[in-house]
Amino acid sequence: MIVFEHVGKRYGGRSEALADINFRVGRGEMLFLTGHSGAGKSSLLRLIMRLEKPSRGRVLVAGHDLDRFHLSQIPYYRRQIGVVFQDHQLLFDRSVFANVALPLEIQGVEPRESARRVRAALDKVGLLYRETALPIELSSGERQRIGIARAVVNKPSLLLADEPTGNLDPQLSTDIMRLFEDFNRIGTTVMVASHDLALITRLRHRVLRLREGRLVGDEEAT
Amino acid sequence: MTRRTTSPESQRPARRGARASQVGLESRTRAWLRHHRAMWLDSAQRLAKRPLSSLLTMLAIAIALVLPSGLWLALDSARLLDAELDESATVTVYLDTRLDERAAMDVAARLRDQAPVAGARLVTAAEGLAEFQQGVGLEDALASLEDNPLPAAVVVTPADTDPDSVRVLASNLEAVDGVDEARVDLAWLERLRRLAELGQRLALALAGLFGLGVLLVVGNTIRLAVESRRQEIEVVTLIGATHAFVRRPFLYSGAWYGLGGGVLAIVLLVLGGHWLSAPVTALAESYGAHFTLPRLGLKGSVLLCFCSTLLGWLGAWLAVGRHLADIKPR
Ligand SMILES: Nc1ncnc2c1ncn2[C@@H]1O[C@H](COP(=O)(O)OP(=O)(O)OP(=O)(O)O)[C@@H](O)[C@H]1O
Ligand SMILES: [Mg+2]
Repeated sequence: MIVFEHVGKRYGGRSEALADINFRVGRGEMLFLTGHSGAGKSSLLRLIMRLEKPSRGRVLVAGHDLDRFHLSQIPYYRRQIGVVFQDHQLLFDRSVFANVALPLEIQGVEPRESARRVRAALDKVGLLYRETALPIELSSGERQRIGIARAVVNKPSLLLADEPTGNLDPQLSTDIMRLFEDFNRIGTTVMVASHDLALITRLRHRVLRLREGRLVGDEEAT
Repeated sequence: MTRRTTSPESQRPARRGARASQVGLESRTRAWLRHHRAMWLDSAQRLAKRPLSSLLTMLAIAIALVLPSGLWLALDSARLLDAELDESATVTVYLDTRLDERAAMDVAARLRDQAPVAGARLVTAAEGLAEFQQGVGLEDALASLEDNPLPAAVVVTPADTDPDSVRVLASNLEAVDGVDEARVDLAWLERLRRLAELGQRLALALAGLFGLGVLLVVGNTIRLAVESRRQEIEVVTLIGATHAFVRRPFLYSGAWYGLGGGVLAIVLLVLGGHWLSAPVTALAESYGAHFTLPRLGLKGSVLLCFCSTLLGWLGAWLAVGRHLADIKPR
């Protein structure tokens, strides 16, 4: 599903944020991406989303070389990926419901069908009762869960999550991971960037370990 | 979608990407129309939410539109006047004073038969004298004359009122037997034509200039709107919105501004017309002419609104295109 071949990423003239990254992720796999702060986890995910282009090497997703995409194809490519952003990326002038409905609105899903899916997604993150609230009225953890609901509402074939449990208590973190595992069970490829080592070791999925932009470990699921 | 719980590697992905392209053309068209309707309403609501600043923008557009369209209207009425003047473009043919009334009638008949002549009216020497006396008020002085000093004249209306062909006609008429002189006074008519042409060019230049002004006004307003919705644009782009999707609400805003400006311009033109109509009519009457200020009419109003809406849309398109490039996380 995801292939990195000698991928390097350099921002401006600075030292490399990522250097010579090589790995493959199969369809339907679930894995963690870990490393200290600044190791390049978000950068790696941004490459997969085609928010950045690699300075070196190739990134392939579902058989497509991301470098070859025409600018007009990128939106359609992104629609197939559900992303939980490290900084939520919610719209603060819209209700929780409208925020979660956004990917469906962009794809032109019929409103009644859209409402049904939005409520299902909100229900999964346990926030159905807040659907009319504005994001500003929510706690940080609740906002994160809205971001998760928005990422899964479209039932994407690839789910990327950047620190999805950063602001959640252990119980909620476990619940969210369960949710991701549920999605994985029905075929979604899931990649989670996190430095919650306790959680990662407990869940026993494959782990990619980054240090200062280099891939220093690739531990198979146990 | 298929629910399977085999080992990850062998699992088939739930292919939602493919689903998007499988969606029928019909439902995609419906979704497209739905978004257009939503953005049409949404952009109108956004404008209505800030009525004063929206109104000011529309007023700026209206003022830019009023000048060229007002001038255009004035020229249109000048053209009407011009047509009236064409009818008065005549050649006065003075006949030989030695001809008697009978011979004069013969000559008039011959003149009438000339090719580019639309009509010819004989003014006999006696009639000419009577007219002259009335007009000049020299009855007593002229009455004391024994002989009528005036020649008979034929007032010829040319078929073609173009100045050059009128001049040619005049020289042809002079060659006719019994004609003393053919006189044309075209200078003032030509001057008027030149003025109208100048006005027309001026109106075109103004329309171009002020059209550009409308583009700038809308462009600047839309630039601010894009800036204020920057975060929203970034977010929807992150989750797969196309350029067209992002651009749409702004294009509708631009079109609304243009339409509002057009309507306000019509209101201003109507008010201006009322304000000017009394003095203009009075002025015309003092020259013995009947003239009322022209109205824009339904056709003109629709045309004006259409043009201003198009300009607004275009201004928005230019502005959004320029500023989206800066925002794109790509
Ligand atoms: N847009 C950018 N421009 C310049 N440098 C950047 C940019 N994004 C990231 N970097 C640099 O790249 C390196 C990796 O950043 P990245 O955000 O990928 O780290 P991370 O592993 O996600 O960290 P964290 O756990 O704190 O989120 C950092 O040194 C950072 O300064
Ligand atoms: Mg990060």
